[in-house]
Amino acid sequence: MDSRFASDRRDFLKWAGFSLTSLAVSGCGRAEEHEAVPFLDQPEEVKPGRATWYATTAPGCPSGCGVLAKYRDGRPVKLEPNEGHPLTGTGTCAACQASILGLYDSQRLQAPRMTGQTSTWDAIDAAIAAKLKAIRATGGAVRVLTPTVHGPTRRRAIGDFLAAFGDARHVMYDPVSSSALRDAHARVFGRAAIPWMHFDRARVIVSFDADFLGTWINPVGFARDYHAGRRLEGKAGEPFSRHIQLESWLSLTGCNADERHAVMPSERIEILAAVAERVAQHAGAEVPWPAGNAQTRLAPAVLDRMAAALTEADPGTSLIVCGANHPAEQTIAAWLNHQLGNYTAGGTLDLAAPCNHRLGDDAMLAALLEELEAGRVAALFIADANPVYDLPGGERLAALLADSSKLPLAVVMSGSLDETASAAPYVCPVPHALEQWDDGEPRGGVITTTQPVIRSLGATRPFVESLATWAGRPADARSQMQAAWRKDVLPRAAAGTSFDSLWHRAVHDGYTQLSTPAAATPAFDASKVIRRGSGPAGASQSLALVLYTKVGVGDGRGAHNPWLQELPDPVSKISWDNYAVLAPDRARTLGIETGDVIALDAGGKRIELAALVQPGVPHDAVAVALGYGRAGTDRFANVGPEWIESTPTVAEKSTVGVRASGLVALDGPYRALDGRAVTLEKAGARHELASSQLHHSLEVPKHLAGPNTDPRPIAEAVTLAAWREDPAAGAHTPHPKKPLWDPDHPYEDHHWHMAIDLSRCTGCSSCVIACQAENNVPVVGKDEMRRQRDMHWIRIDRYFDTDDASTTAVHQPMMCQHCDNAPCETVCPVLATVHSSEGLNQQVYNRCVGTRYCSNNCPYKVRRFNWFDYPRDDTLENMALNPDVTVRTRGVMEKCTFCVQRIQEGKQRAKSGGRPVRDADVQPACMQSCTAQAITFGDGNDPESGVSARMQDPRAYRVLEDVGVEPSVHYLRRVRNREKGHGHG
Amino acid sequence: MPRHVRLIVLALAFVGVLVTLWPRLAASRIPGNHQGYAPSQPIDYSHRLHAGELGIDCQYCHFGAESSRHAGIPPANVCMNCHRSVKVGMGEKLAAEDAAKAEGRRLDPTTLISKQLQILYDHVAFDPKTGSWDAAKGQGPIRWNLIHRVPDFVYFDHRAHVRAGVDCQKCHGAIESMERVRQYSNLSMGWCVNCHRDAHANGIKGQPASPSIDCSACHY
Repeated sequence: MDSRFASDRRDFLKWAGFSLTSLAVSGCGRAEEHEAVPFLDQPEEVKPGRATWYATTAPGCPSGCGVLAKYRDGRPVKLEPNEGHPLTGTGTCAACQASILGLYDSQRLQAPRMTGQTSTWDAIDAAIAAKLKAIRATGGAVRVLTPTVHGPTRRRAIGDFLAAFGDARHVMYDPVSSSALRDAHARVFGRAAIPWMHFDRARVIVSFDADFLGTWINPVGFARDYHAGRRLEGKAGEPFSRHIQLESWLSLTGCNADERHAVMPSERIEILAAVAERVAQHAGAEVPWPAGNAQTRLAPAVLDRMAAALTEADPGTSLIVCGANHPAEQTIAAWLNHQLGNYTAGGTLDLAAPCNHRLGDDAMLAALLEELEAGRVAALFIADANPVYDLPGGERLAALLADSSKLPLAVVMSGSLDETASAAPYVCPVPHALEQWDDGEPRGGVITTTQPVIRSLGATRPFVESLATWAGRPADARSQMQAAWRKDVLPRAAAGTSFDSLWHRAVHDGYTQLSTPAAATPAFDASKVIRRGSGPAGASQSLALVLYTKVGVGDGRGAHNPWLQELPDPVSKISWDNYAVLAPDRARTLGIETGDVIALDAGGKRIELAALVQPGVPHDAVAVALGYGRAGTDRFANVGPEWIESTPTVAEKSTVGVRASGLVALDGPYRALDGRAVTLEKAGARHELASSQLHHSLEVPKHLAGPNTDPRPIAEAVTLAAWREDPAAGAHTPHPKKPLWDPDHPYEDHHWHMAIDLSRCTGCSSCVIACQAENNVPVVGKDEMRRQRDMHWIRIDRYFDTDDASTTAVHQPMMCQHCDNAPCETVCPVLATVHSSEGLNQQVYNRCVGTRYCSNNCPYKVRRFNWFDYPRDDTLENMALNPDVTVRTRGVMEKCTFCVQRIQEGKQRAKSGGRPVRDADVQPACMQSCTAQAITFGDGNDPESGVSARMQDPRAYRVLEDVGVEPSVHYLRRVRNREKGHGHG
Repeated sequence: MPRHVRLIVLALAFVGVLVTLWPRLAASRIPGNHQGYAPSQPIDYSHRLHAGELGIDCQYCHFGAESSRHAGIPPANVCMNCHRSVKVGMGEKLAAEDAAKAEGRRLDPTTLISKQLQILYDHVAFDPKTGSWDAAKGQGPIRWNLIHRVPDFVYFDHRAHVRAGVDCQKCHGAIESMERVRQYSNLSMGWCVNCHRDAHANGIKGQPASPSIDCSACHY
């Protein structure tokens, strides 16, 4: 090196010193420039920094939760439950909470596409109109395929569009079908409808494979009603329903059951028949089939007990639900319900104001697929549906869509370029539900509204506007909706109602209730009951496949939502995957462990996925979740931080999980999720599952526990009988303790507390996503999840409650307990976590230096450390961030704040009203979204507050009370309506 | 050079550097403190004229202060409430009249438009003849330079302060005398906390007050 340019260590230090000093001096200079850009013409109700709420209906979830969209500074940021809503009211589901992220999905379709190329609306409209003209001339068949449509506007738009064609039909299907339930009612009652199920009126609930608290038909509405029939607040004599679940996989509903039996799908009809025969015998009636042939492995004593519980209940106060899509089982269930008087007025089943959540008709769908195969359809319009993914013959359908010789016109109206849209020649983007006008009638007489809360982010066009345009009568969605309401809704409203008052009231409230004409229950035709021996694939099968859906991604609609993908399944605690669930004894015989890749073969259709060994599944069943393996989910490859040891969440050109809908069995036209015989073999590979089951465990590790260590009392449970005798039954006597500190915090003004009723918590995980949305919790990806670095501020701990006969589970939401003697506070060397005068354990991000001592010292393991700056590169997705909460940077600790931003807002609201803070002023996001109202929050200093009442409940206890940290979160012991019982230790 | 001479020269040089840089050093402060920041703005809006001389209430324009976290920069429609009619300042009007008198021509006072107001009018496409305006047809929003800014992890709320009776001037200084707005306070955490402590001890304008000094009062 040239010696003139050589520099030694001293030179380096000199230059370094100079540059540092000059940097320091220049750092004291001018402010970084920021702009403030006010409106030119500011609407009156809009104020920067202030939220407004608009009533609408959430997309993405099966229940169609009624929500208030929180609009802040020009965009919706959160969906909150619409408390007056007649169907969902008290809460939302996880999918609904996450749907706000779908609005800001940068991969949504922004413009129409023709034959794989981006096009314009004018061009695509002209092309479609030309083809339709030819079809009209030749009289070709026109079909519209949608998921369930119950809204007056869409129904009218489809009807008007199809009226111009000679051979036209609207076909509806549901990804998870309940067609057999409708058809069974058509058979025995002559009315094709799913009755409205009043879980609140039921004293005895017997559910056969119906996951009504998790995913079945209307889980949010059902969960609300279910808990209305299980009350522990009042006197001990209040009715508390008894819930018996018989199922072939471990569902969320099964976890919550009072009594649960794992039964094979093929046994279901036998058990139904056996119970029906016993009920008939008791009533002196006759079953409409030759009795005495039921063959089940279930003990006769169990059947006797079940039948006794049903007959002992007053007429009309029991409820038998069956989730299987087999007409025979549904007719027997209907017979049983009829025999028990459940269809009578005031009973648990209401056919006059039926449930419209699933109107799909499998027979019509099968006929359509046949027509398509034969080339008899001239034009097919698919809207808001993804049949190529959903249907077992999806690949064939994709080929037909692309084959213009068999199907001259195939138009897909979709929000994203999904499996179906990418197969079709014409793709018309539709807006997100938060961008458009729409309506629905989820229950007869209850009309819900959807209104836009942001202008469309792309060149999308609502489905009804497209139909109107192609019919040659262009009209915007709002005016179409008003026209439909004038024709179909106004005449059903109370006499004398003006359209304007009806319309404005409904748009403001998000719903309107019309009186339904009282109809006598139609006569039951017992001759139409089908009793056939066992399930479709025969009872002799060695291994039966059971397909189910999870509360997160559901039937696949949530697969492109990173929040839902990262949500640990409340039963298995696994995120970012689906898997084959095997019973422990079965897995042992096969030599399979969790994480072994196995191949499932069903008549030549083969999938390979990881095994999960979990109790609660029958010995001869293997359960696999639908909704995974969606095309394009490799977008999440780098969803987490990238560093030297990181592995992608999903391999390039691969998918998150495996598509299992190809294995759906056909029982005649009915798409049945269970009963298909499969063979299983080990594929030899390993696939790591991201399980958070053992993360942040509160149990003493086995190798540290002494021989006589008692299990720690964490999720306590007690039987109803014991609770009725002594409301404090099951209490754990804490060890005498001495406080470490003097009680010198007076908490003069407020002292915030939370109480969580474990009897109400179903584990639905709506709170987890609500918290994520409210508090800007990042997505970390599968690899980080595996390393126990999940960032969720609230987790749902699952404690199995297993004995020889059955498996259930207690779910326990666990978040920062805001201890009065918080052990985290004493070890922080920089006072970044300190106690507030209102009892909050504060985490000050700007002070935190990331020693992680606090997390180490936390007995509840609820603190989360930012190991990285988690990717926030998607600026559109960042629109979903809550502007009231700091986005944390790398190297700082964070945790539940009790939604302190909402506490501050609530205090301001109370102050402006010149009144003290009330319960309704402060609702943390988790509490607000909880359908079951398991979570209560409020001021413990206020004796009138809801939380004070719950803290006084004899069931109240605090987790790890012995540690003496004085947590501010109280849990209410779980009560199960079972005879003999044991609490979880 | 002898050793002691060298020392003296070095000492003198050090003193010289110190004296030369003193104004700069004295003005230096911790990073993030922008006290005294007074950037130019797209429109030379005068608080002295509007708030001082004309005595318009602060919250007429900054109407968010009582009901929102942000006091808000007023939207143009608030300006247009008056400036739909008031198109020129008194000084400019008198000067134009004098010039017209000197030149001996008649002046139509309704045609006079001040240069600064013309900027506003361009943004909202104001038509002085009809008195109508349409924001959608103008030049787009006015991009003001933000002066008072706290870090992202601080959540300041105007509502609480306005309701408690804290004068605007307490934090913003004698804004009614400023031709161009300048950051009066240093907006540091110590400054906030000292005021909260003081209000705790002495009340606000004689009224007892209990402002929080919990971290989570501002940081969340």
